[in-house]
Amino acid sequence: MTGTRRAELTEEAGRSWRGYARAAGMVLLATAVAFALRSRLQAVDAAMLLLLGVVAAASWTRLGPALVAAVVSIAAFDFLFVPPFYTFGVRNTAYLLTFVVMLVVAVTMSRLTTRVRQEADEARARERRTARAFALSRELADTPEDQLVAAALAHMRAVTGIEPLLVSASGVSVLEGIAERVAVGWAIEHGESAGSGTARCAEAEALVIPVRTAASRHGVVLLPVTDKDDVPGDEQRLTLEALADQLALALERAALAGARDLARVEIEAERLRTALLSSLSHDLRTPLAGIEGAATSLLQGADTLPPAVRRELADGIVEESRRMTRLVTNLLDMVRVEAGALAVQKEWQPLEEALGVALLRLEDRLAAHPVETRLPDDLPLVPIDGLLIEQVFINLLENVVKYTPPGTPVTISAETAGEGVVVSVSDRGPGIPAGSEQEVFRKFYRGRGVGAGGAEGGSGLGLTICRGIVQAHGGRIWAERCDDGVTFRFLLPIGGLPMPPVPVEAGS
Amino acid sequence: MATGALILVIDDELPMRRFLRAMLRANGYQVVEAATAREGLAHAAGRNPELILLDLGLPDADGVDVARTLRRSTRAPIIVLSARGREHDKVAALDEGADDYLTKPFGAPELLARIRVALRRAAAPEDGLVVRVFTSGELNVDLARREVLRGDERVHLTPTEYKLLAALIRNAGKVVTHRQLLHDVWGANCEGQTHYLRVYMGQLRHKLERDPTRPRLLTTEPGVGYRLRDD
Repeated sequence: MTGTRRAELTEEAGRSWRGYARAAGMVLLATAVAFALRSRLQAVDAAMLLLLGVVAAASWTRLGPALVAAVVSIAAFDFLFVPPFYTFGVRNTAYLLTFVVMLVVAVTMSRLTTRVRQEADEARARERRTARAFALSRELADTPEDQLVAAALAHMRAVTGIEPLLVSASGVSVLEGIAERVAVGWAIEHGESAGSGTARCAEAEALVIPVRTAASRHGVVLLPVTDKDDVPGDEQRLTLEALADQLALALERAALAGARDLARVEIEAERLRTALLSSLSHDLRTPLAGIEGAATSLLQGADTLPPAVRRELADGIVEESRRMTRLVTNLLDMVRVEAGALAVQKEWQPLEEALGVALLRLEDRLAAHPVETRLPDDLPLVPIDGLLIEQVFINLLENVVKYTPPGTPVTISAETAGEGVVVSVSDRGPGIPAGSEQEVFRKFYRGRGVGAGGAEGGSGLGLTICRGIVQAHGGRIWAERCDDGVTFRFLLPIGGLPMPPVPVEAGS
Repeated sequence: MATGALILVIDDELPMRRFLRAMLRANGYQVVEAATAREGLAHAAGRNPELILLDLGLPDADGVDVARTLRRSTRAPIIVLSARGREHDKVAALDEGADDYLTKPFGAPELLARIRVALRRAAAPEDGLVVRVFTSGELNVDLARREVLRGDERVHLTPTEYKLLAALIRNAGKVVTHRQLLHDVWGANCEGQTHYLRVYMGQLRHKLERDPTRPRLLTTEPGVGYRLRDD
């Protein structure tokens, strides 16, 4: 033991003083009993009693007190029970054997006792270390990644009373002392403790404990030890090492979890990128091809093409440009929804206005579908971002254009329902496959188009965007299959907010 | 044809300027172009254009600031051009004195209609805007007698509804921001209360429009304001 702390020394001294007292007590007791019974005892019996005292002293104390007890017992035996009585002389040399036996018994007994006691002490210390390590590992399991180190260092501080710090392999240069740097370097390289209180770099004014697992290294914990008396003992060092191991495991676990999440996100992102790219390249190329074709035809045949053909080509350019605009708009909206960048600016307003904008914008494309709107007169104002809810209507109605045969009607209705207003858009098209009520909201999901626009024109993003917008309003959107067609409904919560007052005037 | 109004186009994108130049010239206007705010302000001062088309997304200056600076130096109507999703900028530019806006991408007919309205309003003498009778579609409003007719039928409006309609008639054909309407009808203290406006606009549509969910006359300019059609 190169280092033992002051408290331990004091404790040791106290224990040893008590040991001698206890040994003396045993010997005195045994001698007193033997002396009291001396008229009825033979010398051998007295020796047995005294031996009992020695055994008791040896088994309750350490080697020193045991030896003293043995020597004192031998002296007492010789003085009191071996003729000539009351002298230290020995007439019969056979008694010398008794003395030797007593001595041997004392040494053997105390050795055995010491070993048993040491083992018990070690077991207790091990148990304490394990308990501490276990407590830390349980705590670390619930600790956020960025607080793992702080939590572990707090435990280490509780063990030693020294403020520890974590030094990464690259952070060694911040240390001032050369001995400490060497200790840190050695600990990192060999994965063993070094510095004050160890066999390595003991001159360093710090104890350095590596934080590592078989697979990863996380630097070292450094406990500055400026006072020789504060050097952590073996027991404390072992505890600190156990805690450092727990920290290393937790850090490794966190790193692995982080890597796994990142990998998952990357795989998902990669999958999306691929899907997006293939969808983009097709969807954007198609109108572009149309535009370029029509425009070059117009250029080439500027003087020769009949006016009707020129007009047809120009119409094509306009139509395809609008299709591209819709696609790009959808893509941009999707990016905003995905990035969580939808800034919802809610204002109390009638739904009629947002619906009106959508209906007017889609007027040409919806021309083939009779549109019925059923908004009750007493429908309350709703707190919505008009621009975004317009987009929900536009996307739902565009689906009607794309997926229902020309001539089929569409009904848009709204009603108050407990927590808010439920809006329904019902078509009389071929509907959606059974069980796909959730699936249709998935990104890049496309149905089979039968409508004028054809599903090829879609980005597969419309409903996903709708869901993003409605959710950003705190509402939800769902699909319901009916006998003929499909109904999309969305709930816009009024959320317990009081409807703002509107000045009322007579005669309105 | 070369004697048509002079229009200053301030837009940093060459394809856009090319399209605007061709389209405007084909419709009898004269065109002067600027690719930056600096150049645009110089032309506005030096060439004295009768109308300015201002792209809000200029590389060298904030479009709203440019609109404000232009308005200080010229009375020519300003029509701002901007991308979708920049409603805030449009409203700011309109509040700074721009006369109208168009969201990119737009078609030639829309732009030409806006230009016609703006030039007509600019050409009218200040008190000439106070029309006695306003007519658009089946709507007929006699402002002197405060009488509103839809076709042959007399429509009864509440005082607030009438004030709102009158405010729109004063700006007929032009977009009017929520703030401006609230200010005109309810006063300076109510500029944040857009729901007042929306409720009364709804009522007005129910009285004046054939199909209030698809208004032809009182159209919504999403995120910006309203427009009373007069064409």
